[in-house]
Amino acid sequence: MDDLLADFVAETREMLQAIEGEIVAWEADPADRERLDAIFRFVHTVKGNCGFFDFPRLEKLSHAAESALSDVRAGRRRASSALVTAVLAVIDRITDMIDAIDAGEDLPAGGDDMLIAALEPGRDEPDSETIQAGEKAGPRAARAGSTRSIRLPVELLDRVMSGVSDMVLARNELARRLRDHGADPVLQGPFERLSTILDEVREGATRMRMQRLEHLFGALPRMVRDLSAELGKQVMIDLEGGDVELDREMIESVRDPLTHILRNAIDHGIEPPAERLAVGKREIGIITVSARRTGNRIIVAVSDDGRGIALGKLGDKAVAAGVASAAEVAAMTDEQKLDLIFAPGFSTAAEVSQVSGRGVGMDVVRANVERFGGSVSVSSKEGRGTIVFLHLPLTLSIVEGLTVKVGAHTLGLPRSYIVEIARSVSRSVEVDRLGDGIFLTFRGERVPCLDLAEVLGLEQEVDLERATFVFLRLVSGDLFALAVDRVLDNEDFVLKPLPPALEAIGLYGGTALLDDGQPILKIDVPGLAEAYGLASHARIRTAVQEHGTEQAAAPAEHAVVFTSFAGRRLAIRMAAIRHIHTLPVSAIELTDGGVLATVDGTILPLLGTEGGTLVNDTITALRLGDGEFELLYAVAGIIDSVELPGPVVPLEGDETLEGTALIDGAIVGVIDAHGLFARHGRAALRAQRPTCRLPGSDPWVASFLEPLIRSAGYDVLGDGDGRAADITVTLDAAEDTGPAAAVVRLRSRPEGGERDPDSIYRYDRDGLLSALARACPGARR
Amino acid sequence: MSSLLLLTRIGGRPAAFRAEDISSIIELTGITPVPRAPDFVAGLAALRSRALTVIDSRKALALSGTPREADVRAPVVEVGGHAYALLVDRVDDVVAAVGEPTPPPATLGPAWTPVARGMIETTAGPAVLVDVAALVAGPQRAAA
Repeated sequence: MDDLLADFVAETREMLQAIEGEIVAWEADPADRERLDAIFRFVHTVKGNCGFFDFPRLEKLSHAAESALSDVRAGRRRASSALVTAVLAVIDRITDMIDAIDAGEDLPAGGDDMLIAALEPGRDEPDSETIQAGEKAGPRAARAGSTRSIRLPVELLDRVMSGVSDMVLARNELARRLRDHGADPVLQGPFERLSTILDEVREGATRMRMQRLEHLFGALPRMVRDLSAELGKQVMIDLEGGDVELDREMIESVRDPLTHILRNAIDHGIEPPAERLAVGKREIGIITVSARRTGNRIIVAVSDDGRGIALGKLGDKAVAAGVASAAEVAAMTDEQKLDLIFAPGFSTAAEVSQVSGRGVGMDVVRANVERFGGSVSVSSKEGRGTIVFLHLPLTLSIVEGLTVKVGAHTLGLPRSYIVEIARSVSRSVEVDRLGDGIFLTFRGERVPCLDLAEVLGLEQEVDLERATFVFLRLVSGDLFALAVDRVLDNEDFVLKPLPPALEAIGLYGGTALLDDGQPILKIDVPGLAEAYGLASHARIRTAVQEHGTEQAAAPAEHAVVFTSFAGRRLAIRMAAIRHIHTLPVSAIELTDGGVLATVDGTILPLLGTEGGTLVNDTITALRLGDGEFELLYAVAGIIDSVELPGPVVPLEGDETLEGTALIDGAIVGVIDAHGLFARHGRAALRAQRPTCRLPGSDPWVASFLEPLIRSAGYDVLGDGDGRAADITVTLDAAEDTGPAAAVVRLRSRPEGGERDPDSIYRYDRDGLLSALARACPGARR
Repeated sequence: MSSLLLLTRIGGRPAAFRAEDISSIIELTGITPVPRAPDFVAGLAALRSRALTVIDSRKALALSGTPREADVRAPVVEVGGHAYALLVDRVDDVVAAVGEPTPPPATLGPAWTPVARGMIETTAGPAVLVDVAALVAGPQRAAA
């Protein structure tokens, strides 16, 4: 009997958890038949089960809820928010009772009748009103049937996991010995099979620990609903990415921080309905919780459309709270000011409310998240809302990493920090020794570099001539590099904590075993950066930057080398290139004014087609832009993207070229982008075309004038278009011109200029175009 | 009451470990050195799927004198959830304790006193009963 009771308690709890989100969703859309059915099923099941166990009060409650819901299902009643609240109250009471049953206590007495009475239809809710639930639900796909499951203690899973890991290591050892002794085919076959099975088992064992975020999300709608009701706000929650899987321990660890962030959002972020309406927002605030996986990290973003964080106020508060001095705050960037909310002992709410309390602040959230290897960041626009990002490692213990070799040592670097790997011999990296420090110039950026051998106190330093540089970016955005002898491989590290003696070194973040059973240490990247002062502190960083620009040579410029249609090898600076397009030949038009091509709905001049014939169906074109104008440059083939080595030697005689450069031993002409835009830029269309309103009724306008205006580079607004036009053109009439910056008046006959000296004869093409150009100087003429 | 002891030699002197402190004895085949690690940490070794921290017992005691070749067999102990392998001169035998440990005499010297739980008589003669937690904490433990 006891076993049965335990099962009843566990089953009911599971259902309770699953149902919470459904209820709130149902309240939002009472016509959602599917949700209603789910809730009905729940109370129905509870009723059935507790009848079996003889819990008369539980039975009575669930029966009352069941009948109320059944009325709604039959269309005899409407799902009002009063009813939802009553059903929620009943479900809460059921939760309490289940807890009491589990603890072996007496059920908390009294109050049941009140709850049941609340379920009765109220006066404000006419019985006669019915809903058309069935019609609206439509043919939605049926929810997947529940899968069979059992409950297991986590320790057991851990034991299985470590057993599987041991098996994998033993397998690897066996594989090595089989190889060394010359594999006997009789053994090889079964061994391969064993090996494959083991890999599958390992994958399964890893997944056993994973849980969908839905488990965490399930409880949020209810929480948001209760909190917003309590605070007199209207908030809707939107959940995305519930199917993202996370280590179940991680899910537990993230529960509290996430709850706290949500509370903050509702309490401090979302304004009361009246205030929202006053600033032109919807009455109902929206909080979006979205999760997505990027590499080995999960990013959970909580965004609200509330009032955002007032940086000025934030600074004042910080000064008042003694977190920073007024001078320090004044010197801070917006980003740094935002970061103040993570300072200990800081609360931005003007009044301390019951909900957010005063005890736990964002500092605790950050500390908690960082403890399990995650990080928190925030971005906010005053008046628009706030987004809090939680960056979480996928699991607590498995880290994707890179193994590197320094001297005789193999070490692991967590991949999440690595942005790029470059080899010294590739010439893309320039190494400077300044003082005792090493600095790299890479992609135009000066990056401090640590010699890992030196960091580790090895006798032999890394040979910088032959080194490999691993570029690491810290969460704070700072970039630095580690010089190592060699990069070995990508591996997944199953991290184990360090003993105190090794932890005290401050360099390592854990130990792991490689696939061959060799133990290695994982470098603690933030710790390392901290120890060498590379982590960002506002003042240090600016100092370094100022220093850096002073010393930095002109940053290396990159260029694209290509073959032109005339068969020449040319280069063009990367800075001018916006995009590389592949255009169908049909998009190209030869006109008297030059070659034009349509791309993404705009017409751009196409250069570089001289001396070639279009033989293929498509051509490749570089889209160049100077920020205002754009044009296309056709190329026969792109060769490479290179760093422009040394100065470009000016060239006499060819005005299309800025000069020549020596690239990979060949002389390459560098296109003069400035000259290109100087010659053709005026012909290029502005990205944003000026608009022109034309008199709509006249057929002459549609067939003669409109094409001319369009080809002159204006967008023509139709009569129905309410937008304000840059220019309005009228014909013969003083009709209402509407809102426009300028008006150009046309007359149908050549004579009549004396009556209206500003009007233009409608076939005076030059006059018209120059009038348009005068009216709106930005457009081409 | 006669409990079992693992008798070893560290720096040439008999040192005994309580058998219940020892989770296993492994044969150390390769030790991966750890750069910048304190002297008494010889490195890391693998025991099945976990990494062991290898403690050089002689250095953990800050014993002077030329170290002898250590035994390839090493007792594995667990302290604070971490597994350690102890490098000792020699793993002798498992012996029975005779009587209860007695408090360490003051004449053990500064190296041995901090790691000694006491003196113990064994069937193979007297030995210092070693406190493994103090041993793996290394020579700085006195401060703790």
